[in-house]
Amino acid sequence: MRGVVKEYGTRQARVRALDGVSTDFPAGSWTAVMGPSGSGKSTLLHCAAGLEVVTSGQVRIGELDITTSSDAELTALRRRQIGFVFQSFNLLGSLTAGQNVALPLKLAGVRVSAREVRDVLAGVGLADRIRHRPRELSGGQQQRVAIARAMVTRPAVLFADEPTGALDSKSARVVLDLLRDMVDSDGQTIVMVTHDPAVAASADQVVFLSDGRIVDRTAGLNAHGVAERLAALED
Amino acid sequence: MLRLSFNTFAERWPLFTGAILTVATGVALVQSSLLILVSAATQDLPPGLDPGAEAQMRDAYEGAVSLLGITLGIAYVLAIFIVSSTFAFTVAQRRRDLALLRLVGGSRGQLRRLLLSEALLLALFGSAIGVPLGILAEEAQSRLLVVLELIPPGFSAQWHDWILAVSFGVGIGVALTGVFAASRRAATVRPLDALRDVGDAARVMTAGRWIVGLLFTGGAVAMAIVSAHAPPEGAIALSANIALVGAIGLSMLSPLLVPLVGRAVGLVLRGTTLGGLAAANLRDAVRRTASTAAPLIVLSGLLIGLTGTLLSISNGIEEEQARDIAGDLVVTSTAEETARIASIPGVAAASAQTPVTVTLIERYPDGEGGEAVEREDTGFLAMDPAAYQQTHTRTPAAGSLDDLHGETVVVERGFNGHEVGDTIEASVAGREVTLRVVAVFDSSLSYDGFLLPRDLVSDEQLAQAPTQTIVRIAAGTDVDAVSMEIRAAGLGEVYTVAESISRAKSAQDDLNWRINAVIMGLSGLYALIAVINSVVIATSERKTEFAVARLSGLSRAQVLRMAFIESWAVATIALLLSGLAAGAALLGIRAAIDRLVGVPIAVVPWTMTAVVVAGSFLVVGAATLCTAAVATRPRPTTLATARE
Repeated sequence: MRGVVKEYGTRQARVRALDGVSTDFPAGSWTAVMGPSGSGKSTLLHCAAGLEVVTSGQVRIGELDITTSSDAELTALRRRQIGFVFQSFNLLGSLTAGQNVALPLKLAGVRVSAREVRDVLAGVGLADRIRHRPRELSGGQQQRVAIARAMVTRPAVLFADEPTGALDSKSARVVLDLLRDMVDSDGQTIVMVTHDPAVAASADQVVFLSDGRIVDRTAGLNAHGVAERLAALED
Repeated sequence: MLRLSFNTFAERWPLFTGAILTVATGVALVQSSLLILVSAATQDLPPGLDPGAEAQMRDAYEGAVSLLGITLGIAYVLAIFIVSSTFAFTVAQRRRDLALLRLVGGSRGQLRRLLLSEALLLALFGSAIGVPLGILAEEAQSRLLVVLELIPPGFSAQWHDWILAVSFGVGIGVALTGVFAASRRAATVRPLDALRDVGDAARVMTAGRWIVGLLFTGGAVAMAIVSAHAPPEGAIALSANIALVGAIGLSMLSPLLVPLVGRAVGLVLRGTTLGGLAAANLRDAVRRTASTAAPLIVLSGLLIGLTGTLLSISNGIEEEQARDIAGDLVVTSTAEETARIASIPGVAAASAQTPVTVTLIERYPDGEGGEAVEREDTGFLAMDPAAYQQTHTRTPAAGSLDDLHGETVVVERGFNGHEVGDTIEASVAGREVTLRVVAVFDSSLSYDGFLLPRDLVSDEQLAQAPTQTIVRIAAGTDVDAVSMEIRAAGLGEVYTVAESISRAKSAQDDLNWRINAVIMGLSGLYALIAVINSVVIATSERKTEFAVARLSGLSRAQVLRMAFIESWAVATIALLLSGLAAGAALLGIRAAIDRLVGVPIAVVPWTMTAVVVAGSFLVVGAATLCTAAVATRPRPTTLATARE
């Protein structure tokens, strides 16, 4: 991201959510974006993933400049290059876990074998839940289905917005371990937004955001260290 | 993709069942009205009828055909409106799911294809149910027509195989039309909307809504203005059209009214938590409110508008007759007795009028060197011009009644464009004659300006025909005494002119009621189903919202009360707008009657209005309570979290 500015609202009530953000999310590593509420974390993620059009500046994924992409190009991008995981799990309630996972491939016109779906679900430890509806699953299990759905297209980048925000600490741990494993063994790139220092500590590096600006970045801090930085920001 | 539709169907069955139901009933209604119309228009008359009876029967069928034309028109427009608005509503209710599909890589084209193929499936299902349902509807509609004596008793509607193509065509066409615009709009949903509870926050007054709304409302106003110059035979159809088109236009513009009513509810129920909540919900869910109100606006607009029109016409006829008849008594008898009435002492003039059906014969080249013949029946009154002029104040606009003897005729202006001096080829009582137009009246509401000289028809043929004789009493003679005298002579039933006019009015009102029953019977039922359907869809889609409200501390009873308050606000919006549409129809008929009779008459049908208002609150309230009760049956915690 280069000099990204994002403004909302009309002239009178203009809010600048991102104020000249420039940063890289290195491939094959896990970056956490932290900051107090209202600091622009989610906006940063949405802009980076092409879900929001930036007001000015440039966003590139790999070689592709997505700031000028058409809707069709962004759709193609979502099919092949990007996966999403959100705090609210966003599964389609009418489809089973297996069908939810197969959906992105089907939308991309790719034939999906039942085996493939089972393998992906097995990868998140839910091989036996393939025929369950989302409402029959616990929150942690639903989030793991959502991760499986995001990963089924083998995206270059996985964007996660508070992926553990709606989970108890035990389920959260399972999800974080899963993400860690994806980075370590497959070299997956992950960009994750969170306000929880313990969650951010699982990432390889942490970017701190305040009032739409990047104010700090660190690597290799533990939860305690992250919390101290965050507390410093909020003062 | 279709699996997604099927699964969505299982998940949101009230939404989709509602859509199928509207297609099925709409198809059934259109199919039945069309088959009956075609059957009535092509009905073979039973053989061996005498010419008079045959002409009468043909006349009855012609009347039925024009009535059925209106019925079919209304049914068709209703089907288009109800099906397309229901389908558009089903799309609007699923914005979040659609955004989610975009998020995981669905393209705009895929979304549109999904929605269109879904609509196609639902329409196929709906039409398949609609066809057999249509056979039942046809049975019911034919029976209604026969029972109400608006079609001859021997009538039976025929089945035609081509109707299958029409029915499926209507079902599928109407559903796709409804979804087309909605799917285009839905496809522009932003993937990010999946993360927000967009619900109804999306813009409701879209360009399409503005265009259709203004076009239809403007059309209704234009028709109301045109009404003043329309021929009387078109008045009922025109008025029904004004009510229908106006109601559709206003229902499109109804979102503009929703916030105002929401504020009014807030004011009326000021200080109550539930009232405030209901008012906030109304303002927040403008689209849902508008969609729920739409079928009710059309139903009550049509019912009130049509009833008011028919009442205004019968009052107009009453006024017209009171103005035209200059007599003291009216005797009803057979034509035989009428000659003796004039000889009763004290009778200054007696004008006997016997209805005679005249078959007009029109010949024109058929394009292949031959000649095509078309026959059309029209009711005339056989009378004696001298006696007629002594008992009527009406004078022709052109020509003179004094010339009415032999093969001559008097018509009203606008009748095939005939002027004084024109000749009309016709068959009268089985005899082909060429009639010369000797006078033309201005057009009237009651059509009693079509006159024949009595000597055109032989006495034998008229003898048994029911006849009305208008009697004027000589100055200084006691009306009652003459009346007693006529009665004593056994010459027929005697009424004063006022009594006779009011008897004619109640006969007219009775006829109007039957016409209303035919036009609005099944269509009204269809619209009523649509009203309930839209309430059920709207309410059952609020499961999660209700659950959240309960988790925030509302009891189940309070949630029901909140939904109930909202439903009454929706009904109020619908009734206000339908009142406007019906008002436009009444203004149109008022102008028409003013031109024809010279007195502006518009009757507000208070009884019907009261029934519609009470019925609307009752039906909408009850349907909301029942659906909300079902929707709040599960424990709120399971629902509030099971959103995804």
